[in-house]
Amino acid sequence: MSDETFHTPVEKARSPLAEAWEMFRQNHLAMVGLGLLILIVLGAIFGPILYPTDPYEMVWAPFSPPGAEGFLLGTDYLGRDILAQLLNGARVTLIIGLAAAFVTVVIGITIGAMAGFYGGAVEEFLMRFTEFFQVLPTLLFSMVIVSLFGASLPMITFAIGVVSWTAVARITRAEFLRIREMDYVMASRASGAPGLKLMFTVILPNSLPPIIVQSALMVGSAILFEAGLSFLGLTDPNVVSWGQIIGSNRQYILEAGYTVTIPGLAIFITVLAISLVGDGLNDALNPKLRKR
Amino acid sequence: MSQLLDVRNLSVRFPVGRKGAGWGQVSYLTAVDDISFTVRKGETLAIVGESGSGKTTAALAIAQLVGGETSGRVMLDGQDIMPANRDQLRAMRRRVQVIFQDPYSSLNPRKRAEEIVREPLDNLTDKPAAEKQEIVDRLFEAVGLRPEQKRLFPHQFSGGQRQRIGIARALSTQPDVIICDEPVSALDVAVQAQILNLLRRLQSEFGLTYVFISHDLGVVQHMCDSVAVMYMGKIVEHTDRLSLFNNPLHPYTTALLSAVPSVDPTLRDQSRRILIPGDPPDPLNLPAGCRFVSRCPVAQTRCRELAPELTGNGTDHRTACHLVDANLVSPMQSVREAGL
Repeated sequence: MSDETFHTPVEKARSPLAEAWEMFRQNHLAMVGLGLLILIVLGAIFGPILYPTDPYEMVWAPFSPPGAEGFLLGTDYLGRDILAQLLNGARVTLIIGLAAAFVTVVIGITIGAMAGFYGGAVEEFLMRFTEFFQVLPTLLFSMVIVSLFGASLPMITFAIGVVSWTAVARITRAEFLRIREMDYVMASRASGAPGLKLMFTVILPNSLPPIIVQSALMVGSAILFEAGLSFLGLTDPNVVSWGQIIGSNRQYILEAGYTVTIPGLAIFITVLAISLVGDGLNDALNPKLRKR
Repeated sequence: MSQLLDVRNLSVRFPVGRKGAGWGQVSYLTAVDDISFTVRKGETLAIVGESGSGKTTAALAIAQLVGGETSGRVMLDGQDIMPANRDQLRAMRRRVQVIFQDPYSSLNPRKRAEEIVREPLDNLTDKPAAEKQEIVDRLFEAVGLRPEQKRLFPHQFSGGQRQRIGIARALSTQPDVIICDEPVSALDVAVQAQILNLLRRLQSEFGLTYVFISHDLGVVQHMCDSVAVMYMGKIVEHTDRLSLFNNPLHPYTTALLSAVPSVDPTLRDQSRRILIPGDPPDPLNLPAGCRFVSRCPVAQTRCRELAPELTGNGTDHRTACHLVDANLVSPMQSVREAGL
């Protein structure tokens, strides 16, 4: 039998990531979500520059409804421009969402990876530790942190991260347990890769898809979490966020519903867009679904 | 000829939690139990056996790739290569490489083909980048892959091509011994032949020594110079290929060989299948005597009481069976004749 390979036309190198993007692009809902998200991010970056009204300044009489008196989204209970608040708040809201998700991912991957890689007593201890955080009532625990250490932006971010990393840790551990049994990990060991290199350059990159999906969804839930805390008044009074707009106007919900509806809608659309993108990522990165 | 690889008293056991065991009480599953074998330079030793016989564990233990507790000595060229520290482990890995069974799971899906082949060079050698690249280029040519395929990812290759990448990877540090863990069992038959021929060509080209794990006796007959048959963690028969296939001595080997289907009708009519009843014993609760005793058609009382040693009675045809004597006649002879 011939020992030569058959000559096939030259194929282009297609990385798993490139294939995932191809898949993602064909998912209409995910692309809508991505489009919305890009609009929101652009609004957060350029909105305050293009619409330079100070969000803290009293610009008109309170409770001026949307569209009236030249204010597109009306004014709040102190007569501040809601559109300006919304554009400025977008920055804070998105930064808190991203930063909290980042904290979540860093803690979650570290703990999950160590538990899944080392196993044994290390895993036992780390997973009991994770379960301890899982059974804490999340909102209550973060309220305690924020009220004890002050309602600054970093502390709010930290509080959200600290109560929501458990899901990432569990997913990471599960993926590590699965991937570490794969032959290519043993092959890397046979090729002389030391433990830490195995952990971070072989197992971790292959564990990433579900972690990426979870992290994307985590941004959405962190935004919701921040809104919840702000609604309860646990917010940095020096910055404006969407949750804070709702929180400060909540007494007037019957008289001037738009003051809470508009930032509420902004949160809803943002979280929805993130969820759509997260779902699209899930379909694109999950090879089992891909084969269907 | 010199023995390149000399494995002595190799044992691998895994601690297992077991129902009924008390707290802190660990029982052990002995997957490989005190086996010894040798391989001459440039030759191929096949380790055959059924699933669970410990053949893969034994071979991977040589490459220090099993998680269990390993004991015994592995000598390469007269040096003990059971590593005592990190540097020795690196040195050992340069000399002992592995080709894995399933080419679909043994290549990291996030690495390009050339990165996969280069990995042992990156981890185990201090060669400059240009030299590594040159080695990778040569290896691609040696295993029959085209240079433009270097940039592709594993999922863009067929099973046979993937196994060629795995072979190139195993060759990259110019090892003395390559452990082939059922390298063709995941491939379809036409591709199997290509890969086997490639392995043989590379063996003569680079003077490689193979430890070839397989359950396919046809493949073994094609590839190997000597054969070790394993059953329940023990070697039951260890000899050269011709002796084994022409005159299998151990009852288990005899039964195993009688199960090989033949396409030749006259041969098919001549051969009688020897069926062995029952299942292998519980590996956690092995019989005191010979491990094959519960399924052996010619077992005697002493087989139940005393475990047989692997001995050749002065020849190179070593068997672990009480009923084989210096005349090298299989105790199954009577069964075979009765069958005819």
